[in-house]
Amino acid sequence: MKDIVSLFFAYAKSGIKTRFQYKLDSVVSSFAVFFREAAGIIAMYFALLKFDTINNWNINELMFLFSLIFITYGIFIVFFMALRDFSDWIKHGDIDRVMVRPRGILTQLVLCGADWLASLGHGTLGITLFILSANNVGVEWNAATILYYVISIASGVLIQGAVFLFFSAISIYFIETQSLKEIMYWNLRKFAGYPISIYNKFIQSLLIFVVPFAFVNYFPAQFLLRKPDMSTYPEWFMYISPFVGIILYIIAYFFWKFSMRYYKSTGN
Amino acid sequence: MSKTIIDVQNISKIFKITKRKTGFKGALANIFHPEHEYKKAVNDISFNIKEGEMVGFIGPNGAGKSTTVKMLSGILYPDSGNINISGYIPHKQRKEYVANIGVVFGQKSQISWDLSPLDSYEVIKHIYKIPDKKYKENIERFTELLDMRKFINQPVRQLSLGQRMRADIAAALLHSPKIVFFDEPTIGIDVVGKEKIRSFIKTLNKTDNITMIFTTHDMQDIEKTCERLIIIDDGKKLYDGSLDAIKSNYVSSRIIEAEFEQLPEKIDIPYVTVSDVDKNRMKKVITFDTGKTSINSLMSTLLNNYSIKDISVKEPEIDAIISDIYQGKIIVH
Amino acid sequence: MSTYIQFAAIKFRNNMAYRFEYIMGILNTVLSFLVYWCIYKALYGGANEIDGITFSMVTTNFIISLGLTNAFSKNEMFLQDKIKQGTIANELLKPVNFKFRMLFEDLGDGFFKVVFNFLPAVIIAMLFTEMMPPAGIFGFVLCLVSAVLGYIVLWYISFIVQTLAFWLFNVWGLITIKNVIVNIFSGALLPLWFMPQPVLNIIKFTPFDSIFFTPVQLYLGQLQGYEILLNFGRQVLWIAILYFIGELLWNKGIKRLIVQGG
Repeated sequence: MKDIVSLFFAYAKSGIKTRFQYKLDSVVSSFAVFFREAAGIIAMYFALLKFDTINNWNINELMFLFSLIFITYGIFIVFFMALRDFSDWIKHGDIDRVMVRPRGILTQLVLCGADWLASLGHGTLGITLFILSANNVGVEWNAATILYYVISIASGVLIQGAVFLFFSAISIYFIETQSLKEIMYWNLRKFAGYPISIYNKFIQSLLIFVVPFAFVNYFPAQFLLRKPDMSTYPEWFMYISPFVGIILYIIAYFFWKFSMRYYKSTGN
Repeated sequence: MSKTIIDVQNISKIFKITKRKTGFKGALANIFHPEHEYKKAVNDISFNIKEGEMVGFIGPNGAGKSTTVKMLSGILYPDSGNINISGYIPHKQRKEYVANIGVVFGQKSQISWDLSPLDSYEVIKHIYKIPDKKYKENIERFTELLDMRKFINQPVRQLSLGQRMRADIAAALLHSPKIVFFDEPTIGIDVVGKEKIRSFIKTLNKTDNITMIFTTHDMQDIEKTCERLIIIDDGKKLYDGSLDAIKSNYVSSRIIEAEFEQLPEKIDIPYVTVSDVDKNRMKKVITFDTGKTSINSLMSTLLNNYSIKDISVKEPEIDAIISDIYQGKIIVH
Repeated sequence: MSTYIQFAAIKFRNNMAYRFEYIMGILNTVLSFLVYWCIYKALYGGANEIDGITFSMVTTNFIISLGLTNAFSKNEMFLQDKIKQGTIANELLKPVNFKFRMLFEDLGDGFFKVVFNFLPAVIIAMLFTEMMPPAGIFGFVLCLVSAVLGYIVLWYISFIVQTLAFWLFNVWGLITIKNVIVNIFSGALLPLWFMPQPVLNIIKFTPFDSIFFTPVQLYLGQLQGYEILLNFGRQVLWIAILYFIGELLWNKGIKRLIVQGG
């Protein structure tokens, strides 16, 4: 464990050193990510000046909901960037380099690549939204709720990690996965930001059962906020995010292992 | 006599290739009823390599040499046959095994573009868990041997291709591997740079007794570094032996270059063909077959009967020999 | 002229080559529309109209701005890549106008997207939404004309930010920021009817509302008589201003490039 941590810091140091070569660009790019992601919320803020609420969620509650998506993504991208971009690794044969090193392949992939700019952009936005909303959504912050919140963040990171682990394994079979990536990376996450009760049954099921982003933010937020639209879902959905994360990750891990064996037998 | 370190027995690798059909119907068919064909990339290859040996792998593109090297380095596993390297089965004991090898990919650098070589070495130190003392010693030594002091702290993007490759070679050696694979290590590098790399590799092979395997397109690499050569074509091993043996055993035609003081009207010697060298009409190339004429008798015939300013016997061009082997003009075994 | 049409045609054909990408592209387009449609459906919460704006007007606003966004899906890193690779000098030596070439290649891409991505996506969207019909043939034609002008405004804004690549190491960040500003202030994320008045007062002095919102208003027949002329006038004026700024930056950039030896 100790040398895993020190390996992570060695990678992190070189990654950050790289970004420091282009200081101004790093600042502008991080801000651009922040601003790009914030755009939807700014539009929502203006819209709610006119409409007051969306499915009974006011702007503070909405910001709270959004903060979970952004904070978890900000942490996720520190560990799973290589999996997000895995099809490029396969296409350029970079995976071969990883395979001739005496560490677990997944260990290296998880530790090696952090998208620090995205992390900074998403993370700052998530924390800003949390600070703006946390005391205006009627949550009493005590040991229990704080613990629940922290576990939810960890679960959210794990769920997204599992989704991308799965997705990266798929790119071993299909080299060209750009569109699929766009749908997963952009659109589904965009959907997941809002209370899922605003969607039709099909999209709701997609976000609960197929690509379970609903357990990253909607159900954890519901535990803390108890909005009336929760009544359409089973109560226990609010308690299972960690299990969804762990089980999904285990399934994804075995699929990944299996796919890696396929890679070893077929090459590229 | 040193012991065998790489033992490869009857390995084969078959790839399934999906036939691509065109057109809209074809695209649908590709998705629902893909048709496959099978290609034997490596076909029953065996060889042994001894500790400290330096072996060149050559073969035309798609011959199966990079597939072989991938199997040796544990990236691919063979469909049949056995590989035992230093007591490990590469594809089964990947992690333990690769701690003992170094791989230099000529086309894929392992040092970051925006950082200095030294920054990248720090990360490699952690990946391989290299002890501080050994790490410092190796850095010191390779900096010296590879003449890297000038640029070891400069961002890689500012280095020449040759410098970058030297930095890359050092990166693959930091953990003191017993076996090193070089995949096209001199590709795209200028003559001086190539020379530096070759002499370093040769020195290291001698002093550290590291076993080295080379794949390359550049015959000069092989000629200047390797004593042993394995030729692979169409998935099969065509030749395994020394470079000199190819020259002396399989090449019967030789060339003498002669510069005349006075141009004879006709050079008439049996079993010999004469041709011009470029524009210099005083110079002639005389090709003959060692099976029919001996060098000695030909030389004396020439020197006795013609006024000759300069004369030399040319070694056969290795590139030409290899290309003859690929084309089946020379049969080796 | 035919040379430039050729550039557009090549781009068009390249797009035809990837069928899987194409189907996914339609899906992507439908999905990105669907998000906003769902959000506004929930915001309306069954109400027929808010401040005289009906839900189907909002739907129409999103469909039209989606169409223009599709038409404008271009590679905005094009100029920077050419400068970084150092191929810009060669490009400039060719006997074609580089800027026109850029414009026509983008038009080729855009035309493909509109015909093969946006139209199928609209047809799919029609299955579950109600888009308003245009305010007569006249309104439809006016909408098309102002959409073309809106495209040119959008193109020049992008061109201006792209030319900053002559001076900066990387313009990705600035392009992204520009896109956010365009998306918010043009009404692509939030129909301008719902924009708070103080913000609208600022937008009036920018080119952004003439990109999507003018075509939308013409389509819905919200503009009458002199208002139509006024809005066309604003579009043309902004094209002139942006063209001037673009030329200035382009010429300065080229000069800088030559001084530095490419």
